Amino acid sequence: MSIAAVEVAERAGFRLRRSGNDHLLIAAAIALPCLALLIFFVFPLAMMLWRSLVADDGTIGFANYLALARTPGILKATLNSLTLGLATTAVCLSLGFVLAYTMTRTRVPGARIVSAVLALPMLAPSLVLGLGLIFLLGRNGLISGMLGKRIDIYGFPGLLIADVLYALPQAVLILKAALAHADARYYDAAEVMGAGRWRQFVDVTLPNVKFGLLSAGFVVFTVTITDFGNAAVIGGDYAVLATEIYNQVTGQMKFGIGAVVGLLLLAPTGIAVYIERVAAQRQFGGGAEGAVPPQLSFVPARDIPLSIVTGLATLSVLAVIGVVIYASFMRLWPYRLTFTLKHYDITLSGGYAPLWTSLLVSLFAAGLGTCLLFALVYGIRRLPSWPAKIVYLVAVMPVGVPGLVLGLSYIFAFNIAGSPLSVLYGSTLLLALCNFYHYHTQGFLTMVTGMRAVPPALEEAATCLGSGAAQVLANVIIPAMSPTLVSVFFFLFMRSMVTLSAVIFLVTPSLGIAAVSVMRLDEAGFVSQAAAFSTCIMAVVCTAALVMQLALKRLARGGRR
Amino acid sequence: MLQLLKGVSASLALLMLSAVAQAGTVTVYTALEEDEIADYVKAAKTALPDVDLKVLRLSTGDLGARIIAESGNPQHDVIWGWAVTNMLDPRITALLEPYEVKGADKLPASAKGTDASWFAATGYVTAFCVNTEVLKAKNLPMPTSWKDLTNPVYKGEVVLPNPVSSGTGYMQIAGILQSQGEDKGWQFLKALDGNVAQYIKSGSRPCKAARGGEFAIGGSLAFAAIKSIEEGFPIKMVIPTDGAGYELEASGLMKSAKNKADAKRFLDWTLSPEAAALYTSYKELVTISGTAPSKAAQTAGFPADVAKAVYPIDFARSARERDGILKNWQTSIGR
Repeated sequence: MSIAAVEVAERAGFRLRRSGNDHLLIAAAIALPCLALLIFFVFPLAMMLWRSLVADDGTIGFANYLALARTPGILKATLNSLTLGLATTAVCLSLGFVLAYTMTRTRVPGARIVSAVLALPMLAPSLVLGLGLIFLLGRNGLISGMLGKRIDIYGFPGLLIADVLYALPQAVLILKAALAHADARYYDAAEVMGAGRWRQFVDVTLPNVKFGLLSAGFVVFTVTITDFGNAAVIGGDYAVLATEIYNQVTGQMKFGIGAVVGLLLLAPTGIAVYIERVAAQRQFGGGAEGAVPPQLSFVPARDIPLSIVTGLATLSVLAVIGVVIYASFMRLWPYRLTFTLKHYDITLSGGYAPLWTSLLVSLFAAGLGTCLLFALVYGIRRLPSWPAKIVYLVAVMPVGVPGLVLGLSYIFAFNIAGSPLSVLYGSTLLLALCNFYHYHTQGFLTMVTGMRAVPPALEEAATCLGSGAAQVLANVIIPAMSPTLVSVFFFLFMRSMVTLSAVIFLVTPSLGIAAVSVMRLDEAGFVSQAAAFSTCIMAVVCTAALVMQLALKRLARGGRR
Repeated sequence: MLQLLKGVSASLALLMLSAVAQAGTVTVYTALEEDEIADYVKAAKTALPDVDLKVLRLSTGDLGARIIAESGNPQHDVIWGWAVTNMLDPRITALLEPYEVKGADKLPASAKGTDASWFAATGYVTAFCVNTEVLKAKNLPMPTSWKDLTNPVYKGEVVLPNPVSSGTGYMQIAGILQSQGEDKGWQFLKALDGNVAQYIKSGSRPCKAARGGEFAIGGSLAFAAIKSIEEGFPIKMVIPTDGAGYELEASGLMKSAKNKADAKRFLDWTLSPEAAALYTSYKELVTISGTAPSKAAQTAGFPADVAKAVYPIDFARSARERDGILKNWQTSIGR
C-alpha cells in the first residue's frame, strides 16, 4: 500500500470517528431537552387535558366544556381578555422597540442603567407591582394627593399599566437579542443608493427584526391573557378569562372547568406555527458572515425623542418599584411617614431562610434551563422540517399555561402513588423544573432569536477546515451566543426567584421559598413586612446578578488570554 | 470532569433531600392565620413532645385546590381549621375518617358533623373595615348594618369580596340570603350593588383597600379588621347588626393518614382547655363551651356573646345551595 493510500485511509478513519462523535453530540442535544420537555411539560399538560374531561361526579365527557359555555359572563370575559391582550401588545411592542433600539443602536447615554431598571419588574414579586401602582395611582395614592382629586385606575386602565410593566421587560429581552446584531454594509449600501434614514429603517432594520417583533408580540399577548395576579389586585370589576380559572379553582374547587379555561388559553400559542415559518426564513442583516457592526453616531432628530421616551419609561418603572421600597421603611404607609427598620424584622416562622432556598432553586432552574434551551435550539436546526415544527410548537406552548394550571398539573403528574416520578414530589428539584418550564417559551424564543445571528457561513467555514461539531460549538456558536446565553440565564434566575402562582401548589411544610413568604406576610396582613421581604429579595437578586456578571467578565477575559 | 460530576450529584442530593418524610411526624394542612398558628404549634409541641408537627398554611381557596388535586395520593394527615363550607364538599368528606375527638361533648351540635367526620373549635365573622379618616374627610356617618350600606351617601365607597372567587364573599351573601329569605335577600343584594365600587377577588383585600384609604368601607372579616387596628390603621370594625354571616373553621382526620395515632392526639389537643385558652387571644368566635369571653372580641368591641350577634347559618344548606346562588349572583349582579 502506498503512503498516500495510508494517509487517505487514516484520514477517512479519523473523519469517521469524529463524525460519529458529532452525531452523538447532536443526538444528545436534541434528545435530552425533548425528553425533559415531554416529562415536565407535555405529560403534566396531558394530565390536565384528562382532567378537563372528568366531570365533578366522575363521569367522562364534555360536561365541563358545556358548563363553561353556560357560565354567565364568559363571552364578555373572553372579549375583555382579547382587548386587554391586544392593547398591552401594542403598547409593549412600540415602547419595547423604542427601548431596545435606543439601547442597541444609538449612543444615548445610560443604556446600562436603563437595562438594569427595566429588569426590576422581572425580579420584583408581583405584589410589588400591584402595591406600587396603588401607592402611586390609587384613589388615595401619591398622584391623587398631588392632584387633589381621586383618580380611579381600577379596571382596564390599571390592568393595562400593570400588564405593560410586567410584560415590557420580556419584550425588551427578545427585541434586544433581535437588534443586537446588525451589518453596517447594508446601511452603507442603502446610503449610497440615496435612501434616507427612515427608508433605511423601514427597508433594512425592520425586516431584520421581523422575527423578534413577532416573538415578542406573541409572548406579551400570551402572558397578558394568562395572568390573573394583576387582575386580582388592580383589575377591579374588569373580568378576564384568566380570572375565571381563579374563580372556578380557588373560589369553587372546580378543576374540570378551570382545566377547560386553561386549555382555551393555549389557543393563541397556535400562532407559533406561523412564527416558526418566519424563523425558518433566512435573515439578511446581522447573521451574515463578516458582518461589520455599524458605527453608532449621535443623530439629534432621532436620539433626542428616543432619550425622552426611554427616560420617561425608565422613571415610571423606577417610581412604581421605588415607592414600595420607600414604603417598606415607613412606619405606617400612608399615614405615618417616619423612617423605621421594624418591618425588616420578619415575624414569620423561618424568617429569611426561604430566601436562600429560593436562591438555590433559582440558580438550578437558570443553569439547567439555559443548558437545555441552548441544546434544544442548537439541535432543532439539524432536525428535518416536520419534527422541527412539532418540537418548536411544544417549546413555545408553556407561556400559554397560567401558573395556577401548571402548578396543579404538576400535582396531577408527579403525585401518583407508586409512580417512579413521584420521588420528585415535594423536592426543590421539582420546584426548579416547574419554574424553568413556566418560563420556557421566553427563554426559547430569545435563544432562537440570538441563534439566528450566528453567521451560518462561519460555521460552514469552520466545518470545512476540519472542525468537529464540538469545536464549532465551542469556537463559533457559543462565543457568538454568549450575550444571549447570559440574558436567558438571568431571565430564568430572576423569574424563578419571585414567581408564585405555580409554586404555591408545590411547597411543603418543610420547604419554604421566598415568593411564598411574601404571599404569607401579605395574607397575614403584614403588608409592610411583605414589602420589606420583597425589597430583600430584590437586593439579593441584584447582588447575585452583579457577582455573576463580574465573574463572567473575569472568565471571558481569562478565556481570551 | 469527575469533580464536576461529584458537585452535580451532591447538589442533586441536596435538592432531593426534602422529599423524604420521617416517621413520627404529623403533616397538617391549615388555613388558620399565620401568627396564631405559630402560637398554637408552639403549645402543641410542648404538649406532644414526641410528635413532629409539620404545618402547611395556605389561604382557604388555594388549600382546597391543593387538597383535591392531591386527593389521589394525599400528603397530609390532618386538615386543621378550614372553612366548613368547603369541608362539606362531598369530594372532601369522602377523604375524611370519622373520629370521636376528645372534648367533642363540649361543642354545640352545629359545630360538629353528625358522623363525627369534622368538628370546629373556632370561627370567623363578617365585619366591615371602616376608614374613619375617609369618613371624616367626606363627612359620612358610621354605618352599623348591611342596610346602612345601601344609603346613597356611600355610593362608590363600598368594596366587597366577589362571592364567586372568595369564600368570605359567599359567606357574606349566604348570611344575607338566609337571614332575609330568598326574595327579600336578592332584592337587597341588588340594592346594595348600586353602592358597590368593586367586588374584589379575595376576602381580606377589601379591608386592605379600606385601610389604605382607597375606599371608605371594605366588607371583610373580623380578623382583617382587628389586625389593621393593631397595626395602627385608622380603621373601625363594624359587625353588621342584620345578618352577619360567619364561618366555622373545621378540622378532621384524613382516611389516608400515615400516622393516625399521633394525628388523633393532635386533634384531641385542639379541643383541650389549654388550646381553648389560646384561641381567646385570637378568635372572636370560640365554640368550646365554658371558654372565657374572647380577649380578641372584647378589644374589638364585640358584644359579650358573639354567638348571639351573628346569624345562625345553616352550613349544610349553604354548601348545598352554593352553585345555584353563585350562578344567580353572576347573572343578576356579577360584573
